[in-house]
Amino acid sequence: MIDYFALALGHGLLAIALLRLVWRDDLDVDPLLDELKNAEREQRKQASVAARNARRRAAGDDTSPTNGEHS
Amino acid sequence: MLDLIFLSFIGYVLLLGLRRPFLWVLLYVYIDIIAPQRIGYAIIQSIPISFVAFGAAFGGWLLLDRKEGGRFSLRQGLMLALLVYCWWTTGNADFPVEAQTKWEWVWKALFFAIFLPFTLTTRARLEGLALVMVLSIATIVIGTGMKTVLGGGGYENLKFFVNDNSGIYESSTLATVAIALTPMIAWFTRYGTIFKPHWAVTTFAVLLIFACLIVPIGTEARTGLVCIAVLGVLVLRYVKRRVMFIAAGAALGLVALPFLPQSYYERMATIAQPGGDESASTRVAVWGWTLDYASKNPFGGGFDAYRGNSFAYEMPVTEEVGNTTAVEYREVVDEGRAYHSALFELLGEQGYPGLAIWLLLQGLGVWQMERIYRRWRHKQNEEEAWIAPFATSLLLASLVYIVGALFQGIAYQPVMLMIIGLQIGLNTYCKRIDSARDEVARSERGSATTRREAKLSGKRKPPHAVTA
Repeated sequence: MIDYFALALGHGLLAIALLRLVWRDDLDVDPLLDELKNAEREQRKQASVAARNARRRAAGDDTSPTNGEHS
Repeated sequence: MLDLIFLSFIGYVLLLGLRRPFLWVLLYVYIDIIAPQRIGYAIIQSIPISFVAFGAAFGGWLLLDRKEGGRFSLRQGLMLALLVYCWWTTGNADFPVEAQTKWEWVWKALFFAIFLPFTLTTRARLEGLALVMVLSIATIVIGTGMKTVLGGGGYENLKFFVNDNSGIYESSTLATVAIALTPMIAWFTRYGTIFKPHWAVTTFAVLLIFACLIVPIGTEARTGLVCIAVLGVLVLRYVKRRVMFIAAGAALGLVALPFLPQSYYERMATIAQPGGDESASTRVAVWGWTLDYASKNPFGGGFDAYRGNSFAYEMPVTEEVGNTTAVEYREVVDEGRAYHSALFELLGEQGYPGLAIWLLLQGLGVWQMERIYRRWRHKQNEEEAWIAPFATSLLLASLVYIVGALFQGIAYQPVMLMIIGLQIGLNTYCKRIDSARDEVARSERGSATTRREAKLSGKRKPPHAVTA
């Protein structure tokens, strides 16, 4: 009797735990690591936008007829 | 009937795994610990469920899993080295047939422990594995605890689901593993996300810890008592209210007293008198024999090399005739006595190289968990606060196991190899967080530099374009 009770309790809890795990997206994708990866991607994007702007500005300065050096 | 229940549970998990293949890894863990194929007695024995579960776990990971962040660590390398070395010694064993029998389960346990960390890529997976391990052990321990409380028990008397004295169903092994897992059970009361902290979880955990602690009482396994004492001392480092903890421990001991049969006192009394008990006397003799054997065979004699031992020693035999008790010293001849210690098991079977690998594997685990504890213990946010206590529970599990292993030949205990897998998984996870943070910091620095340069370029109007 005790054995059946222990088996039922253990398996019942295991069944609930596994069912809960199935519906969790964070089982396959870790939220913290994902957040850090997104932050890093965002920083990279910002850096590249800033670099692009800087390049554009620099290029514009070089070709501009109203460039300080030519005026 | 029992077989059908087990098979439906296994079918249910196989089905759930279609959505999340990681669940098949957990299914294998459950089957490996509880061994339902050994509890059932009809159809289930004819189905290779362990093989099916392993196939699903490995195949699911190989074909369907993301495999992101999996790394091959040094400790996995050590286990691989031990596996290869064991394979070599099995080929050159003193007792090839017996060695082959042991090799057949040892390689599987080691292989699974090497594979396990590759699948542990998220916090939920680490917790899921820990929970399945705890609940699987709980299934065995709850029954043991209830039988002890309700009467019954005794050394080699307490009936488990499986009564062949093997694997986790060996009383001292069960006691050691159950006690080793108690800090992890406590961890779930504060940091669990599958079963969130709740009074019901706490009540279950307290009762389960109590059940784990009385396993050595129910089974009269002396090693278990030593493990409890060691755990009690180790936990003192982490508790804030030490006096209260000691008082609670004493109270728990008092609560347990009524459940102790007379035979228990008699058996425990032999801890301090190794000469008075054959099991204890044999250990000392076997250990001496193993040291001698290793000096002649430094590369080990393969699995079950102990079968070659034979020694005679004198042991006190107590005889009661009427009211008189006579103690007589008689010569006892023992042959093929097991090692009764993981250290000597390794030394005899795998020689000094095997022992060195195993010690390094265990030692590195303790060191890594301690390092994680120190690195993460001040973290307060929910996402990271669980890490240091989790590392502590794994550290304590290792230490209790090592102490238990000093007196039992459990060097390749599958549950403890899974604990190693869990430790490696946690270590890799922490490293990934650290390296992801470093990447963010680097990008931030890069972005700031670019912005600064962009600003400067606007002011200075450089002759060349600024590159990132």
